[in-house]
Amino acid sequence: MSENILEVTDLSVEFTTYGGTVKAVRDVSFNVERGKTLAIVGESGCGKSVTVQSIMGLTPTPPGKITSGSAKLNGREILGLPTREANQFRGVEIGMIFQDPMTSLNPTMTIGDQIAETLMVHRGKSRRDAFNQAVELLARTHIPEATKRAKQYPFEFSGGMLQRAMIAQSLACGPAILIADEPTTALDVTIQAQILEIMLELQRTENMSIILITHDLAVVARIADNVAVMYAGEIIESGSVDDIFYQSAHPYTVGLRSAMPSNTGDRDKQLLPIAGSPPDLFSPPKGCGYYARCPYAMEACHESAPDPYTLTEGHIARCWLHHDDAPPTDVIHRVTR
Amino acid sequence: MIVYTLKRLLAGVITVWFIATATFIAMHQVPGDPLLNDKAVSAEIRKNLERRYGLDKPITHQYLIFLRNMLPPNPDFGISFTQQNRRVNDIIKDHFPVSAILGLLAIFFSAAGGVLFGALTAIYRNRLPDIVIMFLVILGISVPSFVFAALGQLLLVNVNSLMGYSLIPVAGWGSFTHMLMPSLVLGLGTMALLTRLMRTSMLDVVNEDYIKTARAKGLSPQRIFFKHQLRNAILPVITVLGPQIAVITTGGFIVELVFAIPGLGRYFVQAVQQLDYTVIMGTTVFYGAFLVFMVIVVDILYGFIDPRVRVQ
Repeated sequence: MSENILEVTDLSVEFTTYGGTVKAVRDVSFNVERGKTLAIVGESGCGKSVTVQSIMGLTPTPPGKITSGSAKLNGREILGLPTREANQFRGVEIGMIFQDPMTSLNPTMTIGDQIAETLMVHRGKSRRDAFNQAVELLARTHIPEATKRAKQYPFEFSGGMLQRAMIAQSLACGPAILIADEPTTALDVTIQAQILEIMLELQRTENMSIILITHDLAVVARIADNVAVMYAGEIIESGSVDDIFYQSAHPYTVGLRSAMPSNTGDRDKQLLPIAGSPPDLFSPPKGCGYYARCPYAMEACHESAPDPYTLTEGHIARCWLHHDDAPPTDVIHRVTR
Repeated sequence: MIVYTLKRLLAGVITVWFIATATFIAMHQVPGDPLLNDKAVSAEIRKNLERRYGLDKPITHQYLIFLRNMLPPNPDFGISFTQQNRRVNDIIKDHFPVSAILGLLAIFFSAAGGVLFGALTAIYRNRLPDIVIMFLVILGISVPSFVFAALGQLLLVNVNSLMGYSLIPVAGWGSFTHMLMPSLVLGLGTMALLTRLMRTSMLDVVNEDYIKTARAKGLSPQRIFFKHQLRNAILPVITVLGPQIAVITTGGFIVELVFAIPGLGRYFVQAVQQLDYTVIMGTTVFYGAFLVFMVIVVDILYGFIDPRVRVQ
């Protein structure tokens, strides 16, 4: 078992709004291993982004509030730190890139200056040294003519190039973890592949961990080592990428897989959507969040929230179907004890 | 950048030509005769003036004379019809600098105040400083400048009598202290407008993705504010600054009147009342050219702050 660089336990985040309190993230726990990629998947609004933004201290408080949990980076608690202390790990030990590279860079500052800024602030470098290193960083993300490009502004870059620049910026201080919040969602497919390739390459050379947030299972299959599937603010299944894809243990994971197009098999095969919509997080159901949409729902699922069941080492699912008394189903991977 | 500047200048020249033509046409649509005033001029003088400006010729001819006289490098706007022995050029030369200094100082006050207070209200959003400043902003926008001018004078009178000597002069022109109160009063409305604009703009920028990026980079709140927020938030403010310079410099005549300042605005209004052809046309074209120039200056300034403008 490799070393955990980030350990998140029982993280819960709420948002207070005029309409009530949204329980956006509920008791989320996961670990990130050194040099490995953890993918957090789930549909829109299931709390993926809020989870990582809370770890980074980027959720606005108020209206946001971290109600419980801890996040330990190399054994040090980083959750809910005041800004000054949070800034000692933000951009240094954890780098972050975002969904829309077009709006994620300051439009009135050159790309080089924005990358250099991180080095000037955290490494105390002079402007000239920092700028030169920014050019090197741009070259490492395969931006052609990096010297010239560093002097340009974001509007002179394409989306893919901007995402490379974002990666270069997040790598400036050699972080142990790169958090990528839907890094390829706003890009077209060929550019997506290039960006993922660059991330994987840098992960190998830097021995860096990646937390990848996405709703694209194809991307997960390609680059993830471990996967956490989120639904309605909870992690409902987590395990290695093989566990999740080949031994899916939660009906939601099974549903996601059957909604996914495939290269093999019948071309006319219909994709199966998951009927219904996620529960209202203003008042989450007391039982399983997936109860209303689950084809295997039982009385117990409505009554109380399922316990996490460990199927094999590291493969955990929150579903009553793994209870010894549950009836057998054809698609859910079960381990009989 | 150079091409951009040249393009703007060319457009400016054409605008000024339009202004001149429109003024000329408007002048000739006004009924009345400037030479038939209470103090009627003698037949001889009348003849001389008619010859000089081609007033006895067809209107197209007059227009050409008007344009030819106006051409750089030595534009000649002619002689005032009503004031003795004064060339329009001299009126502008003597009185415009006063208006310009007053106007620019007012712009400086309003821009500095607008950006400062706008940023403050955004930082203290929905808290006491925000509420107080926004209340004052509504006052600043809705109360006319002559009220502020009178209140300003009253304040100065009280301050001076409290001090026992004239610390800041209540009216008149001459030293820097003379300029303070009138320019502050003149800039107040614009300051209020810019404060509101800056507040909205700051609140927009705070929610931008690149501010989140800056926080994720581990920058201090101060650095994010000065390096990332302020510069982007100030763009809309600069956009309205150009037209506001127009409003302030031409709208200054009330303040000039209250504070007894020998500015150009007074002559401008007087000329319109007395149908003083040459002064009206001279000052209008001059004001027009000045304002077009200021708008171009603001546009070029914009190019320095926002790199996106330079290329388009």
